[in-house]
Amino acid sequence: MRLLVLVVLSVALMVVDARFTLLKPVRSQMSLVLMQSYWITDLPQRLWQGVASQFGSRTELVAENEKLKTENLLLQGRMQKLAALTEQNVRLRELLNSSALVNEKVEVAELIGMDPNPFTHRIIINKGERDGVILGQPVLDARGLMGQVVELMPYTSRVLLLTDTTHSIPVQVNRNGLRAIASGTGNPERLELRHVADTADIKEGDLLVSSGLGQRFPAGYPVATVKEVIHDSGQPFAIVRAVPTAALNRSRYLLLVFTDGRTAEERANEAAQAQEALDQHGGGPIIPATVPKTGIVPAAVAAPVTPVAPTVAPAATTPPKPAVTHPAAAKPAASKPPAAQPAAAKPPATQPAAVKPAAKPPVSAPATTGGRE
Amino acid sequence: MVGATASRNGWMVWLTFAIGMLLSVSPLPQFMEILRPLWLALLLAFWALAMPQQVGMVTAWCLGLAEDVLYGTLLGQNALILTLITYLVLALQQRLRMFPMWQQSLVILVIFGLAQLVQLWLSALTGNRQPTLALVLPALVSALLWPWISYGLRGLRRRYKIN
Repeated sequence: MRLLVLVVLSVALMVVDARFTLLKPVRSQMSLVLMQSYWITDLPQRLWQGVASQFGSRTELVAENEKLKTENLLLQGRMQKLAALTEQNVRLRELLNSSALVNEKVEVAELIGMDPNPFTHRIIINKGERDGVILGQPVLDARGLMGQVVELMPYTSRVLLLTDTTHSIPVQVNRNGLRAIASGTGNPERLELRHVADTADIKEGDLLVSSGLGQRFPAGYPVATVKEVIHDSGQPFAIVRAVPTAALNRSRYLLLVFTDGRTAEERANEAAQAQEALDQHGGGPIIPATVPKTGIVPAAVAAPVTPVAPTVAPAATTPPKPAVTHPAAAKPAASKPPAAQPAAAKPPATQPAAVKPAAKPPVSAPATTGGRE
Repeated sequence: MVGATASRNGWMVWLTFAIGMLLSVSPLPQFMEILRPLWLALLLAFWALAMPQQVGMVTAWCLGLAEDVLYGTLLGQNALILTLITYLVLALQQRLRMFPMWQQSLVILVIFGLAQLVQLWLSALTGNRQPTLALVLPALVSALLWPWISYGLRGLRRRYKIN
């Protein structure tokens, strides 16, 4: 009798939990207490690490310090270039009239537990709802995408890894933009690309980056490298296996990515409005600034600019944005006083030879953005 | 439930359950993950045999709910499993007590195996079906552990006069 009641109760709970969000508060209250057990079971390792770092030998520390310094130097060097590249990217995107890549904010989280079920690949991290984590938020480690948040609790959350059998992520080949879907296989070292045509241009060693198509993951983060491509004439599709770049079962510190929830179009619109406001506030001759700019920007090579000179001159002299500090980037940036609608500014296109390079990007703009986004 | 008045040292029972819960989420090497014994089910089976008046299906159900929250499964899934296990143990209680240890282990193996199959069925319903039948391995490991758990907890019970 009691069995019957309890069984019915469990089944009812399961149905309600699967269909409605009614039980979420109950669950999060219970997790407040229960999730401590993950923390407790993690404690010995934490203590051990503490002790190990206390008694780490001096030479080891010095060596590590040395290594980190070198690494830091390398990264700093790469960063310098990145600033210039980012600037260039923004400018080119403005030309294409597509939304700029926004800088995503990241926050560091720490792994506190693995899911005990060996058939699922889920981990538990020490940031939760109270830390601003949201459902579906992407999680990275230092080398690539790891997965997404699937369950929120007040101070912890559960992350589904890329390699779980229920997980798939839209990717594209970094080399040529070929799109595909990478599904988890249940093996922590393997992803599989589904439904890739036998003739598709994909080969061993290709880097797969997130394409941002599912509106879930931000575009452009490394996901996996292709390990083998098998063409079996008996199969309708090629078999493509890839290895995740992230250390899915080794990383202890993870990055939570905070993207804004707006769609690409909303972002573009807002950016455009902001830009207009900036232009108006920034003063200066707006009318000349908007029209010729299309002519100048790609032609930062200076020489071809001269024919358009009469209109150009004022624009180039009134850069509303502070020019970038890098000398290389400074020149094009100065000519940037960009209205949001460069592509729409047709006039330059009709102008003679010199403007040709400029006229091209707007024409191809819809096609490229369509393919990319 | 652990009655407040009738039982002495009832908190010890809950302490073992708490330890069981910790064990059931403690990190294990990858290859052992698949062999993780069903700690809570083992403890429940022992206490249900030892003091059926105090530990019964309601206790099992509550612990199951806790396990659901820990594992992130649907609320009620593990609760159902643990309730079933406890029910079967209680139903076979009279016989189990007379059995020698190895026979008890066998019965435990069968009960846990059944429970794991129900578990498989439930997780198939929710869409993450395990690809193999390897999930009956924990039942086997639990059955092998049963004699030690049983002796250990019996000793604990004598020492602290839990009843």
